[in-house]
Amino acid sequence: MTEFQPPPPDAAPTPQLAPALGLSATGLSRSFGEVHAVVGMDLHVPAGQVTALIGPNGAGKTTLLLMLASLLAPDTGTISVMGIDPVKDPVAARARIGWMPDTLGVWETLTAREILATMARFYHLPKGQIPGRVAELLELVNLTALADRKARVLSRGQQQRLSLARALVHDPDVLLLDEPASGLDPGSRVALRSILRTLAGQGKAVLVSSHVLAELDEIADGAVFVNQGRSVLAQSVAQAAGQGRSYSIAALDPDSLAAALASLGLAFEQGTGRRDSVRVAVGSEEHAAKLLRDLVAAGVDVCSFAPAAGALEETYMSMKVEQQ
Amino acid sequence: MTMTQEGSTPQPALEPGTGGFGGYVDGVLGVVGMEMRQRLRSRGWYILLGLWFVIIGIVTGLTWWSWLVQERNNQMWDMAGDRSGPGPLIFELVLAFVLLFGLLVAPALSANAVNGDRAAGTLAILQVTLLRPGQILWGKFLASWIAGLGFLVASVPFLLFAIVQGGLGFTQILVALVMLGIEIGVVCALGVGISALANRPLFSIVVTYLVVAVFVFGTLIAFGLGSMVSEGPVRANQMGFQDVYYENYSDAKAGDPMPIPPGVTDQEGDRYCYGPLQEQTTVRTDRVAWMLAMNPFVVVADSIPYGRASADRQRPEGIFEIISQGARYAQAGPDATYPCANGKLDTGYLDQQTPLWPLGLGLQLLVAAGIVALGWRAVRTPAGKLPRGTRVA
Repeated sequence: MTEFQPPPPDAAPTPQLAPALGLSATGLSRSFGEVHAVVGMDLHVPAGQVTALIGPNGAGKTTLLLMLASLLAPDTGTISVMGIDPVKDPVAARARIGWMPDTLGVWETLTAREILATMARFYHLPKGQIPGRVAELLELVNLTALADRKARVLSRGQQQRLSLARALVHDPDVLLLDEPASGLDPGSRVALRSILRTLAGQGKAVLVSSHVLAELDEIADGAVFVNQGRSVLAQSVAQAAGQGRSYSIAALDPDSLAAALASLGLAFEQGTGRRDSVRVAVGSEEHAAKLLRDLVAAGVDVCSFAPAAGALEETYMSMKVEQQ
Repeated sequence: MTMTQEGSTPQPALEPGTGGFGGYVDGVLGVVGMEMRQRLRSRGWYILLGLWFVIIGIVTGLTWWSWLVQERNNQMWDMAGDRSGPGPLIFELVLAFVLLFGLLVAPALSANAVNGDRAAGTLAILQVTLLRPGQILWGKFLASWIAGLGFLVASVPFLLFAIVQGGLGFTQILVALVMLGIEIGVVCALGVGISALANRPLFSIVVTYLVVAVFVFGTLIAFGLGSMVSEGPVRANQMGFQDVYYENYSDAKAGDPMPIPPGVTDQEGDRYCYGPLQEQTTVRTDRVAWMLAMNPFVVVADSIPYGRASADRQRPEGIFEIISQGARYAQAGPDATYPCANGKLDTGYLDQQTPLWPLGLGLQLLVAAGIVALGWRAVRTPAGKLPRGTRVA
């Protein structure tokens, strides 16, 4: 029993402020036979922000994204994509949604340029604009040099970038990205980060599901944690950073560090990392600064003092979720 | 529901284009283009085409050879008769083989169109675009049909060879090619529909083969069994033959005609019908002929116009005419074919004028359309109920 237990499903959903901008979902449920993949999920992805969708494998993230992308009808609940209900009017919603699935889904014998041009055609872009738009996207995801190679020969990361470009082809207002960073090399990750920040800066609502939580600390404005098909917590990254978290501290002389911590009355445990460090739970960033000052004043030669984990990772780990 | 494309949000820099019929067709053509490009770039299609070409070539060569041998034997025994050349024989055999192979190849070309994409994760990507499910299915069907027609084109050289060998009219060849194309199209539609319904490509290909087998063999078996159980009455009287006395008998001399009994209702040549009409039990093939009509070979054979001067001939010429007449005979039923039914003499060969193929083709199209409609339901999104074990993406 953790403090993040999901609310009972019959609890009244929190009233939303009916935001026409961005993406919101209320009370979404979907089951596949006996499996309740999503149970009463609420979600709000404001325009102009990057929202992270975080949860263990099997938490219902992909099912949720499929419903938001208008591919799967929810059993109950409502979705609003820029004010449009994708169940009632999927075509209007799809013009606003860019979806990047976790499966790569590339046409192996087509070239990157052909795939993007065909997608642009399927999104009814004017014919004259298509070549320019395709070139622009290829440049954006740094695939220009490989544009006329068959998608089969692209590496996983390159296919991932192609998939991102494909999701952006019709300049959607809402972006749904399922694990966009998996398989990307560090350079591409940095590029992805800046692309997503730019898109949010343009006023788009971006929802990113990922397991790379440290990454999300950098790019996300807020996060929604899901577990066992329910949304268990919505938190802004600022809140996450402000909450209590554990710090990893190392000193030249571990014994004097331990003695100092004990004299300050703080509980600590041995760290899990390679270095000989300890972990201390700290209430806030102010407390952390004070602790460092106290340790230095006590004559401990502190050589490393940093949050043990990213802010979102901290929240995630404190959820004590069950891996499924 | 007043929220439309012109919502309160900043307009996308790229304006979505128009819909309407032109937009619908453009989407279909887009899918066709995408599919064709992939097919043309896969080696499998070319290998199949090459094999096809070689096999049809062998069939043509063997047919021609066998005709040459037979012709020599006929000359030896002075039985050359009125045969006009190997053209019709080669044409019909090649056509029959092309139809057979077409029915075998079409499922392979079509029956993984939708679930193959589903497995590769590309179907969902099409589904989230502004494409409608109908456009996806039309595009995939047309692409597989075009690929199938490629095989027909590859067999044209051999049909031309048959034409050069003489014997068949241009109309017959044209009709035959068109009907072959349509039959391949029917199987492609079946394949695409089944592939939208079934989860795995292998399963849908096998099911499509089974459906083709039902059309080719099942219809024959069903017709045969069906005619056994569909007995029915027909009103007929007696048939008699005008005969002559072989030796002197009573007042008559040898060679005098025998007397015809009273009450003759129809007479032609030395045959006549006489006596009161009586109800007799016979096989009412007309009730089950529709099953036979669905057979692709019957459809093609029956649609080809009969050869020269059919009215003068007492026997059908060539396998397709035999198939066609047999099927029409079954369709006409005992009222037209039972001896002295309704007091009329039965008619000879080549007299059954009512074509059967529109019924058969219509039924085939109905089955294909039904399966495609079910498939259409399965690719609609947002998806409601999903078949067990299906992943949307």
